[in-house]
Amino acid sequence: MTNFYDANLVLIQSTFVGLLMALSIQVPLRMGVFSFSGIGCYGVAAYGAAILTIRYETDPLVTILLSALVCGVLNLLLGMMVNRLGGLYLGMATVAFDMIVSVVATNGGDLTGGPTGLFGAITDITMTQVVVICGVVVVALALTERGRLGRRVDTVREDPELAAAMGIRVRDYRLASFVVSGVLGGAAGAVNSLLRSTVSPTDIGFSLVVLALTMIIIGGARSWLGALIGAVIFTWLPSVLEVVGQWQTIIYGVIVALAAVYVPRGLVGLATDGWRRLRRRQPADTVAVADDTTPDRELAALENLAQDTSMGRTS
Amino acid sequence: MLQDLINAVALGSIYLLFALGMSLAWGTIGILNFAHGSIFMFSAFTAYLIVNAVKLPLVAVILIAAIAGAVMSVAVQVLAFEPILRRAKDSRAAEMQILIGGIGVAGVPLAIAQHYTKSNPFGFTNSSFKVDTFDLGGVRITSVQIIIIALALVLGVGIARWLQVSRHGLALRSIGVDPEVSSIMGVDRRRLALTTMTIAGALAGLAGALLTYNLGALTPESGETLILKAFAAIVVGGVGSMAGVVVGSYVLAIAETVVLTQTSGLWVDAVSFGLIFLVLMFRTQGLFGRREVRRT
Amino acid sequence: MSGRLGGLLRGGTALFTAGLLLTAAACGDSAGDTGSSGSSASLPSEIKVVSTNPETGAAAFAGLAANKGYEVAIQEINDQHYLGANTKLVLDKQDTTGKIQTAASQATSAVADKSYTAIFGSVSSQESVAQAPIADKSKMPIIFTQAGSDGVVIGDYTFRVTPPMSSYYPKIADYIKAQHITKLAIIYAAWTPTLKEIGEKTLPGLASQAGFTVVSSIGTQQTTQDFTAPISQALAKQPDGIAILQVGAANPTAMTQLRQAGYKGPVLGNSGASAGNLTPAGANGAGMTWVVDYSSQNKTESSDKFVALYQKKFPSETPLNYAAEAYDAAWLLARGIKEAGSADRTAIMQGMKKTASAGFTGAMGQLKFEGNDLRLPGVVVQWDGTKEILVTG
Repeated sequence: MTNFYDANLVLIQSTFVGLLMALSIQVPLRMGVFSFSGIGCYGVAAYGAAILTIRYETDPLVTILLSALVCGVLNLLLGMMVNRLGGLYLGMATVAFDMIVSVVATNGGDLTGGPTGLFGAITDITMTQVVVICGVVVVALALTERGRLGRRVDTVREDPELAAAMGIRVRDYRLASFVVSGVLGGAAGAVNSLLRSTVSPTDIGFSLVVLALTMIIIGGARSWLGALIGAVIFTWLPSVLEVVGQWQTIIYGVIVALAAVYVPRGLVGLATDGWRRLRRRQPADTVAVADDTTPDRELAALENLAQDTSMGRTS
Repeated sequence: MLQDLINAVALGSIYLLFALGMSLAWGTIGILNFAHGSIFMFSAFTAYLIVNAVKLPLVAVILIAAIAGAVMSVAVQVLAFEPILRRAKDSRAAEMQILIGGIGVAGVPLAIAQHYTKSNPFGFTNSSFKVDTFDLGGVRITSVQIIIIALALVLGVGIARWLQVSRHGLALRSIGVDPEVSSIMGVDRRRLALTTMTIAGALAGLAGALLTYNLGALTPESGETLILKAFAAIVVGGVGSMAGVVVGSYVLAIAETVVLTQTSGLWVDAVSFGLIFLVLMFRTQGLFGRREVRRT
Repeated sequence: MSGRLGGLLRGGTALFTAGLLLTAAACGDSAGDTGSSGSSASLPSEIKVVSTNPETGAAAFAGLAANKGYEVAIQEINDQHYLGANTKLVLDKQDTTGKIQTAASQATSAVADKSYTAIFGSVSSQESVAQAPIADKSKMPIIFTQAGSDGVVIGDYTFRVTPPMSSYYPKIADYIKAQHITKLAIIYAAWTPTLKEIGEKTLPGLASQAGFTVVSSIGTQQTTQDFTAPISQALAKQPDGIAILQVGAANPTAMTQLRQAGYKGPVLGNSGASAGNLTPAGANGAGMTWVVDYSSQNKTESSDKFVALYQKKFPSETPLNYAAEAYDAAWLLARGIKEAGSADRTAIMQGMKKTASAGFTGAMGQLKFEGNDLRLPGVVVQWDGTKEILVTG
């Protein structure tokens, strides 16, 4: 057990960082906000944490907290700027933001170490601290997926007009998702810099956006569990494929393509559908319902929501 | 100064040739094909493999690349995008999955080309076409640059006009506006989608061959860098507008050239990203984008 | 999932996952110091070393060449029974596929695997910067080739058997003087640490010594594929010498477009143009001149011996500098092991340090080290359109 841990320490660390990073995109996505700016925040925090550690030898937990908070605010400001945008346009604008962060990092001279990046950011951060951070995040997010808050979030995503009509302040929810996304992206970047003790422009480029997106789409975009599954799979897949030898990059691409085609709702979605199909097999309700389960969910969400606000309570 | 202008026009034509295929597919049938860069590169690579064995002239090389691109594009459409669209529960989810599907597919030709070339650059050194340079009173332009500029303008403006006036063009635009209604009106969406992807792929291959002649050498990674530039060109011009991508490509190239000549060149990359961000912030539909295109 | 059962299941899964992770972390934190492999007074029958290099991806040509160099050296070491009649050096190879995380992970695995005595690190600078702290912290000797940026040779356990380009590039000054270059334009890849340093510091730093001024300095991006604009800008200042400091395909492209722009004068380059990268430029590539740490064209006794050995294993192939560097790196390790007299990682590190400070003769000539980092005078080479030739004087 210990030897497996030692031998694969980098991968284990990357899984946690990947989880936080994927969550930074999954949270706004769950709200229907196509924002990838969490990756830009990852970049800002990655450099910020390295600079703080190298120049001021700040305590790792303080660094992570500070970076996460600053990025939360930064992302909030960005969110307010791009609030009008939606869908793929919002996605593109936030990707542009991410890339600008990358360019600034490359041209940042002595502050960011230029193309070389920064190295020597050594701290006494432990895996326990990282795991606790992730655990806290996961529990908090899991709570937001349940109950009234969960249904509200679903409604904001599925039908913003209806949500507004029900009295939910959609704009606040969207901006909140930017804050959370910034905090998570920032935490991920800071943790990674401190674990690796180095950061460079290639660490924070477009490939991260692609990686995070792949993790969420294939893992499942609806829940933190999807982000976790995606993070585990795509952190470990390259080393699993090593046995294939020189064709591993081809097989990786094929796997991603196949998954995008055949597992459209992600693996969590697949499991949910399977579970649902299993439950429906039970006698009595053998009505020929369309395989697409979305109408059921939305109807249920609306019914519950109507109950919540039936007394005229708002948000 | 005049030389800079010519260089900017040539650069813009390169961006345009690459972005045309992507814009066509995205603006009409709504497919944002991330494998476009990979198809572009692999078409050129296919032509390289054949030219190495047989000494071929310019037209033959371009034809081979265009055919390779068309075949690959149709294959991606049939094997990846159509199944995704069939299974998707709504257009937004479909967009995401097509994005990821394209990214996944893009890795395959890239890996194959990397394997064979060991990521060394490859070019059409065995082609019978040699690039000439013309000196016109102090400014220089090469034969390939002239061909690129001419083809880019002809194809760009031509496709824009064709979409406006022809029946097929109208049918394609109607799919972009409202797929269900257009299909009620008798538009064969599948056939038109396949035709569009074929043309988009052929354009990618054409661009690949011409760019290889222009640069002298391509590496397997060359396609990826152009995709972000194509985004910028399309966004600036306006998603869905072919006239837009023509103008957008030249605006991008001129902006980059200006930044290059005025600063030391370190911020050229920031131009494309900055333009994307600014345009989306202040004029989301770009220069010529249509409001009725449902891209949200 | 709807309903209370679903909610409970979700919450349960969250807590269970957290618990599992905490347990794993607890196991990990108590792992303690990963000490060196079991020391023995005499050498074991097999000493294993792993090469973590990009065999696929953008730096593949360098990684593959390095691996060939390691193989040639290790075969020679074993054939000679250099480490004793009963001891063999065994090489394992892992492909980093050009990914920093993979390289870092492979370094961690190698450290944790007690059967490995040393690591041959990646040729890629970015991968090496990630690998170096991992190996050094866990007291595992790691020897790099290429990997010329800062942050690689950071501690006692990190060695590099390739001099940083900035240390031997100044040899170009003689060529500059011979070509009577007085106005130099520089077009450099500002996105790579090595070429940024050469383009902004090292080359301009030779100005007074070689008698030129820098009339134009243009940094290009990783996304720059077309060089007509930077070239026009450079030529506007009418230089009588141009330095094109680029990586990969940018070299043949820039040379082609430079000649098409009408420039016929001398061109300075860098080793990023070697390994046949200039072939696609055809005749337009001829004349590009740069400094390398090693060229097989430089016929010295030690080099010729290496070339002959290399061609026995890889017939009709000329060894690249990457292979020569790796060959010498493997010999540094072997000498370090012999000096230490054991397969203990720390002892080997000390053995290599002793070997380095004494210096030795390798394929690349008389090897002198500055600490754990190699220094070489450099050799000036030129591309003549089909191959690299030596430039004397």
